[in-house]
Amino acid sequence: MTQPHEPPIRPDSLSGPFTPGMRDNADDLASMPDEIARPFELADGSSPSQEFAEQWRNASYNCFSSGHKFCREVCPVMQVTRNESWTPTAFHANVVAMERGELEVADVAADYVNCTQCGACELRCPNTLFTGDFYKFRTRTVDVVKAVRAFAVESAVHQPQWKLWNERTNERTHEPVLGQTPVSQERVRDWADGLDLPVGGETVLFVDCEAAFYRTSVPRAVAQVLRLAGYEFGLMGEQWCCGGPAAEMGYVEQAKRFAQHNLDNWRSTGTKRVLVLDPHDYITFTEDYPKYFGADYDIEIVLVVELLAELIRGGRITPSVPVERTITYHDPCRLNKRKGIWKEPREILRAIPGLDFRDVDRVTQWSYCSGGGGGLPVEKPELTAAISANRLDQASALEVDTLVSACPWSERPLSKAGDDTDIDVVDIHELLAESLGITVGGSRGEIGDRRGRSR
Amino acid sequence: MSDQQVPDTTTTSNSGTVGYRYAEQHSPPPAERVTDVAITTFEHVFEVDPRLMERWVLQQEFPNWDSLRIMNSRHDHLDWMHRHFAERVVTGSELLAEIETEQPAGGQR
Repeated sequence: MTQPHEPPIRPDSLSGPFTPGMRDNADDLASMPDEIARPFELADGSSPSQEFAEQWRNASYNCFSSGHKFCREVCPVMQVTRNESWTPTAFHANVVAMERGELEVADVAADYVNCTQCGACELRCPNTLFTGDFYKFRTRTVDVVKAVRAFAVESAVHQPQWKLWNERTNERTHEPVLGQTPVSQERVRDWADGLDLPVGGETVLFVDCEAAFYRTSVPRAVAQVLRLAGYEFGLMGEQWCCGGPAAEMGYVEQAKRFAQHNLDNWRSTGTKRVLVLDPHDYITFTEDYPKYFGADYDIEIVLVVELLAELIRGGRITPSVPVERTITYHDPCRLNKRKGIWKEPREILRAIPGLDFRDVDRVTQWSYCSGGGGGLPVEKPELTAAISANRLDQASALEVDTLVSACPWSERPLSKAGDDTDIDVVDIHELLAESLGITVGGSRGEIGDRRGRSR
Repeated sequence: MSDQQVPDTTTTSNSGTVGYRYAEQHSPPPAERVTDVAITTFEHVFEVDPRLMERWVLQQEFPNWDSLRIMNSRHDHLDWMHRHFAERVVTGSELLAEIETEQPAGGQR
């Protein structure tokens, strides 16, 4: 029996470990042949989906060609739906399929609704966690999802609730967080009634739509704590929505227009520093705006929760009024997973006397989410509710009476789920203000106010 | 605002720990070569020589916070894994001894 012809085996990392590029490599390993990869060339007559996919092919093959799938169990949507079409893997595979001409964006646009853009999949992916910083090339699920959503909008494929939400935001310059009750430029500072805060100045406090119109106790708490610390700041001259939610849902032109307005307004009042109490705004101002404006973006962005931890450290505020609650802390996805900010909120909570703090570490919380991000509650509130219920089950197992968050957008869905499990959902800024002896005022939302009255 | 309030320097990120500024985020410390193919910038951050990423797969734009976030998260994750799955290191010989003890003499699995 004749042996089949075996091609000669070229020495490579399978026959002996080596690092490409090292000067002490054997001569035959000195250079890698060009055949290992070829530049991608788009065929003539490509469809718009293929042209789009070309821009995202490296990011997508990064996932598709490795297929680790560590992302699955940390994905909040996957946890409650087990739908394979709504996994980070599928979001990347679809782009590969578009590149090969097997799909058009209209076929899959609705699948891309099912993502909170929490960033868990990106961080847990070995291509980020173990090699992302080394190669400066990491998994980009959030960017891919945003890009596909934007491409869908550009292709006139709309999700009905997102379309309506962004139309109303465009009309009113703020998100319609109060439903049929209009929000407007004239009312964006109503949360600050009676606080006598100045407008403009070198440092301004930016208040997101949810906190400015719905959970007004959060900005009131922040403003009063800062004032107690003697920290000088003003309110924004003419504040529009940050534009982040529009960008998340694919309405990029609107997002950029709102961003330009806000930047122009900061410059018109001589503002150099913007204080941000909402993690979603923090992402928008430190990731979206830099992409829009590049090196011209000369505004310093300060996250309030980091600033407050620093003020406590420096002795400028000292919480002293005991708060008798048994709490656990919900790491907001955009702080913990997407920014690596988790120490400062815990520093603040540990400085508050009276608390019985039953903490869950930040790595375990990579798989926790409120379901409140990425436009999910606008288009699929039932999915947000299921994810929030999951989060409250996790809190309930710790036998706490309070779940503390640091994100106004998480607090509405979490409060609803908390009402079902008899757990209060409180914002960290509200809690700190209480321990500083401040009567905050404002509203903690419908459920928070009702539960507060009966407490 | 009260008279006691003073212009604040707490958050100037040149001296402090908080605050995002575009220019700072896009200016990593000068690279030091560690091997023919790798460099280091921040402590514990090692990067491939960027010249090796100029042809087939280009590097992404990486502000400093992102490199540091990933490096710190990796360490946190490895600690977490050790806490959950590696409280005790068990050698192969210990496992074999355990199996032999459980099995009757001359018994086969």
